[in-house]
Amino acid sequence: MTEKTVYEHLRASGVSRRDFMKLCGTLAGMMGLEFAPPVKALGAVAGPDPAGLVAEALMSKSRLPLIWLELQDCAGCTEAISRSQSPSLVNLVLNSIAVEYHETLMAAAGFQAEASMRAMMEKYRGQYVLVVEGSPSVDADGIYCTVAGRSSLDILREAAAGAAAVIATGNCAAFGGIPKAKPNPTGARAVSDIVTDRPVINIPGCPAIPEVTTGTIAHFLVMGALPRTDSLKRPLTFYGHTIHDHCLRRPFYDAGKFAGSFDDDGARAGRCLYKLGCKGPTTYNACASLKWEKGLSYPVQSGHPCLGCSEPSFWDGGGFYQGQSAPVDRPAAAAAGIAAGAGIALGAALAAANGAKKRKAEKAEKAE
Amino acid sequence: MDWTSILQFFRGPFFKISLLIFIGGMTYRLVRILLLGWKRDKVPSRGSKAGGVVKTYLKGLLVLPFIPWVKRTFTPNALTYIGGGLFHLSLVAVVLFATPHMLVWKSLLGFGWPTLPFPVTDWLAAVGIVALVILLVNRLTHPVLKLITKAPLYWNWALTFLPFLTGYMMTHHLWFRYEVLYSLHMISVDVLLIWIPFSRISHFLFYFFSRTFHGAQAGKRAVNP
Repeated sequence: MTEKTVYEHLRASGVSRRDFMKLCGTLAGMMGLEFAPPVKALGAVAGPDPAGLVAEALMSKSRLPLIWLELQDCAGCTEAISRSQSPSLVNLVLNSIAVEYHETLMAAAGFQAEASMRAMMEKYRGQYVLVVEGSPSVDADGIYCTVAGRSSLDILREAAAGAAAVIATGNCAAFGGIPKAKPNPTGARAVSDIVTDRPVINIPGCPAIPEVTTGTIAHFLVMGALPRTDSLKRPLTFYGHTIHDHCLRRPFYDAGKFAGSFDDDGARAGRCLYKLGCKGPTTYNACASLKWEKGLSYPVQSGHPCLGCSEPSFWDGGGFYQGQSAPVDRPAAAAAGIAAGAGIALGAALAAANGAKKRKAEKAEKAE
Repeated sequence: MDWTSILQFFRGPFFKISLLIFIGGMTYRLVRILLLGWKRDKVPSRGSKAGGVVKTYLKGLLVLPFIPWVKRTFTPNALTYIGGGLFHLSLVAVVLFATPHMLVWKSLLGFGWPTLPFPVTDWLAAVGIVALVILLVNRLTHPVLKLITKAPLYWNWALTFLPFLTGYMMTHHLWFRYEVLYSLHMISVDVLLIWIPFSRISHFLFYFFSRTFHGAQAGKRAVNP
């Protein structure tokens, strides 16, 4: 290929060899290479050194073409990436490692943007990675979400057809998110429901953790394949543990010490937020280990229960501030009344039938 | 089908249906029993029926369970006495006073109450599990109990034991992922809810009716017609 390798591109933009090696180490850490089976995935024999593995890939491969689509979403995942407090990493991936078409962030607009996407899709057919933010809508042929006069469903299908892999970032793209919440007026679906003939990986979250999205992109570049996933297609490196597993309030949970409200003594003492609705025990994400804002904090650390934003049940999985043990669905008083009424009616009817039978028998006995 | 969806189903629609069957089933059983027929008192009672009821409750809830030498309840059946007693204590403590369960009641009733510290309910749950196992072994080996025990009782045992076991495993994150254990716990609880009205476990409610009735009978001082 005549294109410059990532390494050459970085060197041309003023990155020293020493910084490059540091970067490779950081990237390897970000991709969780220490925990992944890296060597075999590359299809080559590499040393036990993850940074070396990354360096080898960046020195031999050209930049990864990337198309970033926005469907039914709030652009929150893009916001999170553009305001990420670890810009060196995120910028590295999005500017130096990947060449991107990004509807929200690029300078081009209107027809220029359309032309740019089309050109990119043709030039890199079968090679580009498609990142999707937001859920496609299928009802009424996807009329509820259109870009440049075309339905999001069409755009997604066309873009996915030429993609090497699809990364669904954010809960909306991964599982349908808020557009899919009951009653789902637009017929929103997860990207993986629509794209079935291409490898799809889910990076759920609201928003997705920027480092997780970029880490997955980096993984694809370095390894040439998507990372290993769980049954919900989430990369195991980042979604292998629950928030509860790594929670800094966990000792309080184990000791049964809970905050009873957001401003009681328990809350001030930093106790477990289970009673305030924390979904940590069933939520798989990297918040508790990667954290946000350059590792400053994450919701549970800041005093707010985990909402479970990386799970398919994010919106319809029970109240945010209701203890997780509480049922998702419970009978309304009227339904309970009807059930009780049915029990009473059936019992009374059978008792009446028995009574009538008894009286008849007594009458017959007397008559004899 | 992944475990998250399974959990959603058994915490959601299936739980709702189970609870409705439980409510309908219990009212049905209650009406059937109440309408079995009451014998009218044809002779005025010279004793106090209410006094009899109070006395029988005091005896049933305070004296018999805690003062073992009364009426030879303890000596011939020490194991049933201790095992059964501890199991019921554990059941009440865990179902009503463990924090996660109180939150279930709160979501159903609209109000909550103070709960027991986790280590207490945790140990009591373990006590309940051990008691259930010992009671089962006793039932399987005791020459008389063995003869009078039929299949429904083993079902009662199993359907009571499973929520205990899965709940304990879930609290301690044993062997499986949390949502798997949580699903298993909810499945066992839902099945138990459906089973209760149509089994002897319904004694949790009917106990109070029979106690009241027998207490009133015992307090009566009159010639039976």
